[in-house]
Amino acid sequence: MSRGSSANNSRVARSKGVPFSKNPVLAVRLPVWRSRVVLFVLFFAFAALAARAAWLQGLSTQFLQKQGEIRYARTLDLPATRGKITDRDGQVLASSVPVKAIWAIPDDVQNAPADKLKELAQLLGMSNAELQKKLDSDRGFVYLKRQVEQDVADKIVKLGIEGIQTRKEYKRFYPQGEVTTHVVGFTNVEDVGQESMELAQQKTLVGQPGSRRVIKDRLGHIVEDIESIREPHDGKDLTLSIDSKIQYIAFTQIKEAVEKFNAKAGAAVVLDVHTGEVLALANYPTYNPNDRSKLTGEQLRNRVMTDTFEPGSSMKPFPVVMALEAKKITPHTMFDTGNGAMVIADRVIHDTHANHTIDVQTVIQKSSNIGTTKIAMLMTPQDLWEMFTKLGFGQQPKWGFPGAVAGRVRPYKSWRPIEHANMSFGQGISVSLIQLARAYLVLARDGDIIPLSFQKVHEAPHGTQVISPKTAAEMREMLEMVTLPGGSAVKAQVPGYRVGGKTGTAQKFIGGRYSHTKYIGNFVGMAPMSDPRFIIAVMIDEPSGPLKYGGDVAGPVFSALAAQALRAKNVAPDSDLTHIIIPESAAQENM
Amino acid sequence: MSGKINLVLTALLVGCGLSLVNAQYQARHLFIELERSQSKARQLDIEWSQLQLDQSTLGKHARIEEIARRDLTMTPLTAARTQYLTTEGSK
Repeated sequence: MSRGSSANNSRVARSKGVPFSKNPVLAVRLPVWRSRVVLFVLFFAFAALAARAAWLQGLSTQFLQKQGEIRYARTLDLPATRGKITDRDGQVLASSVPVKAIWAIPDDVQNAPADKLKELAQLLGMSNAELQKKLDSDRGFVYLKRQVEQDVADKIVKLGIEGIQTRKEYKRFYPQGEVTTHVVGFTNVEDVGQESMELAQQKTLVGQPGSRRVIKDRLGHIVEDIESIREPHDGKDLTLSIDSKIQYIAFTQIKEAVEKFNAKAGAAVVLDVHTGEVLALANYPTYNPNDRSKLTGEQLRNRVMTDTFEPGSSMKPFPVVMALEAKKITPHTMFDTGNGAMVIADRVIHDTHANHTIDVQTVIQKSSNIGTTKIAMLMTPQDLWEMFTKLGFGQQPKWGFPGAVAGRVRPYKSWRPIEHANMSFGQGISVSLIQLARAYLVLARDGDIIPLSFQKVHEAPHGTQVISPKTAAEMREMLEMVTLPGGSAVKAQVPGYRVGGKTGTAQKFIGGRYSHTKYIGNFVGMAPMSDPRFIIAVMIDEPSGPLKYGGDVAGPVFSALAAQALRAKNVAPDSDLTHIIIPESAAQENM
Repeated sequence: MSGKINLVLTALLVGCGLSLVNAQYQARHLFIELERSQSKARQLDIEWSQLQLDQSTLGKHARIEEIARRDLTMTPLTAARTQYLTTEGSK
């Protein structure tokens, strides 16, 4: 551009007179279609953008939102903890603690350096070969070890081996171990109850896991919730009726007795007379629920609940109670038991001593088979059978304990006379120890029967009257005599307290006949007599020493158990007798 | 006149926008704090049950008895060695 001086044909800016389109390029007139093309192209481009935008925003929103969500939204599982099991005072008997399961993607792990794998094997507590064997798998997922404790799992994660992952799970711990295991039971690796209360209360113990949808940022921090949280509901805690002090006492006493009498097994159960709660239930042999690798069926067996046996003499109070109730006898009715043998049909019933003519109280005190038979014969088989049924014998227990057995009382129509007699002293009828203990509850209470409970009871249950309070009191008097000098179970006496009970010794029924070497000794008693608080039933299976009778093997266990339990519960003594001298030869009892 | 209204509305709009930003910022902060507290609560819960377990394990009657017998040389009480006191009125 030049500042032309006199170029008239050029256009000049009016104000300053500067010519600006002298340039020949500008002077050229462009064809109209070119600008149209540009306009059209631009318009088309915008239209394409608009269409694309409409497509994204309008038609494929759902898909895109979903894709977006996948990139930032996460669903978190909120696990629920299995409820705790505690004893009646809140001491923990079973509790779940979070642990880790270690799993691997075998193909990825194979590339890991050997020294790291060695370290891993060490942390997992297995040999190198074992670990390799687990990793030698075609599957894409292999559990290396489950229920690894948190600190070990942290160390494994720190090793940073590719393909090793952890998963949160729970492990159940049983701090009281072998002592309470037959009541508490245990769970498997999936946290599902397998035995006893863990199994019975599975539904309430197990929780309801929840979940929540959240937005996570790149670093994995939760930014916000997208949807409302589905709250997890932890399992309910379970308060058992067990008193861990009494449980421990029962367990140690049973253990001691089984070892002392060289018995095959032993069991004891303690009931609360007022509420029907099971305060203790001990078995020996037992097992440690925290380490079940060497568990045997013998150890697992809950002899209180699932074993039945012929109780022997401890059954005697019931026919007598019945005859008292029917007013056929009084505690002082005399019976002639002769010289210790009595023939029924073609069988002979024996007493260990000739008792001659004795009253009903003495029949119980000396445990006379003949006396009891004569009393039972005053009643019809049907009456006896009905009594047994009312007391719960032969009835399926409904106390929510898995595996509890009904025992066996044959229908009265098929009883032969000898069976009628046998039944009165506890032969030909099979019961579980807990059934026997529950029947004694009727005698300890005022003649009513109540349901038993393995969970803490808050209000006293209502019972069904079976016998009158007067009859129950009369029988209690007789049961106390059993433990006094002259009775068949003087070894069951407790210093400082009045106690009562009945021994039983049954020959085991093996292969269709009664064994003469294998016995079950039992004792069921109550204490203190002035106001019964506990029913204690003890059973010793196959004592193999010189002592086999219930009064000799189970009686002392009862005595020690009752003494310690009464003291532990601060029960005031009701007897001034604090020194007890047990006579050398206690009155021999019958089977 | 309409220019003035526009000015006021613009100022209002900007104000609202800023307060929204601030509110969102506060919400995030509170949320993070909530998360942290909740995870701490969970941690404490776990610790609590662990401690309960420990208490139960260490308070095992078997352990107490062993220590009492061995370290403290205690012996079980018998009725013969006990003096019972009764309060006035009760027998």
